[in-house]
Amino acid sequence: MSKIYYLPSHEYIIVDGNEGRIGISEFAAKELGTVTYVDMPEEGDEVVAGEEFGAVESRKAASDLFSPVSGEVLEVNEELADNPRLINNAPLEAWIIKVKIADPAQLNDLMDDAAYAEFCKNQH
Amino acid sequence: MINIALPNDKKRRLPFYLAAEEWVARMLPPDEYFFAWRVPSTVICGRNQIIANEVDVDYCRQHNIDVVRRKSGGGCVYADMNNYMFSYIAPSSEVMPTFGRYTSMIVNLLDRLGVEAHANGRNDIFVGQCKIAGNAFYRLPGRAIAHGTLLVDVDSATISKALTPSRIKRQAKGVASVASHVTSLRALGLTISSEDFGKMAVNIFCQNRVIVPTPEHIAQIEEIEKSYYAPSFLGDHLRQRKAVYAKTIERSIRIEGSGEFFVEIGLDKEMTIKNIDLQGDFFALDDFRTLLLQPLEGHRYEPEILGKIIEGLPVADAIAGLNAKQLKKIILEI
Repeated sequence: MSKIYYLPSHEYIIVDGNEGRIGISEFAAKELGTVTYVDMPEEGDEVVAGEEFGAVESRKAASDLFSPVSGEVLEVNEELADNPRLINNAPLEAWIIKVKIADPAQLNDLMDDAAYAEFCKNQH
Repeated sequence: MINIALPNDKKRRLPFYLAAEEWVARMLPPDEYFFAWRVPSTVICGRNQIIANEVDVDYCRQHNIDVVRRKSGGGCVYADMNNYMFSYIAPSSEVMPTFGRYTSMIVNLLDRLGVEAHANGRNDIFVGQCKIAGNAFYRLPGRAIAHGTLLVDVDSATISKALTPSRIKRQAKGVASVASHVTSLRALGLTISSEDFGKMAVNIFCQNRVIVPTPEHIAQIEEIEKSYYAPSFLGDHLRQRKAVYAKTIERSIRIEGSGEFFVEIGLDKEMTIKNIDLQGDFFALDDFRTLLLQPLEGHRYEPEILGKIIEGLPVADAIAGLNAKQLKKIILEI
């Protein structure tokens, strides 16, 4: 069964076994407004926990993307290149990259669903 | 709000100021910060724009107009010493409240000069139907940077030439600029000098709160500034690669007596060159793209094939101080 974790910078990772799908949360998608471009890494690139791996540009703002975990990029969501608005329509379905999780212990440093909901409440 | 009093010791390129914003956002304690600055003629492209689609790069090179990229989104803008640039760094990464705060600051500033302005839905500030300030937003964890230009005076002819790309270079990807009619304080009949306007903004927003960066701070800012000149950030190749190419080769190399060269080569799955470009501070004697680069397109990226073609090209006639052997080194790394 999959489980979701979050970074304070509003990226999520949905974990299935040793793979994770990384995207931006509903909160972040709403904050940014209509997404116009997603700058993604390439398949085979390595991402590092807490470090930048791309960016999302919306009509309002550009925002760096940070990786919740370290690992190899297994797949990038090519659909977002043609239709970045998918992120606004369904952020949790419109993942940006799929990674092979190098160190599952890194998930312990992330917020779970409940902690993230509490965190978002304090953002306003 | 705290003013960051950056040094006025020498003319700096625009990325120095963008790096200063990042330095404030990353290094200083949470607070509101502001600074106003000016740069010589520069075109600033949005983070995900294909520069060749938006800018006449050759015109800019010929007229000493710097072309740079910022980390915030949006379209291209032109700046020179007749514009003021404003940077506002907020202690929150929330987009709407920060943008609202920033645009209302600028609208209020204009109001003090008797100019009735309003913010539109696209981050910009208008007087009537004409844009007077273009703004953009860069969000970092826990911080937000809002920055923009404000036209004190405007050289419309130069803006129009610099921001009109060559048709043949246009590609259908990346983020396109949105053209607007522009106005300036001068066009509205105000006589305030650009310099006085900047001072007025700092006095109104910051009163007497000020931080003067130390030489160590400046060194840190200059370190961040380097990231803005990296070929992987400044070049178009990232945006093109995703759009068109199976593989992109990029490297920068210095050729003594000729200059710094950044080469970008877009290859398809068969390793055939689909696009190749050279940028840098070298001196072009002729249209090097037509004379040296176009003959390579459509050929496989193989040293033997390209080496023979390069030997037959008029290298020395197209780029000062460069010969065929050196061009092979730039393109093939041999």
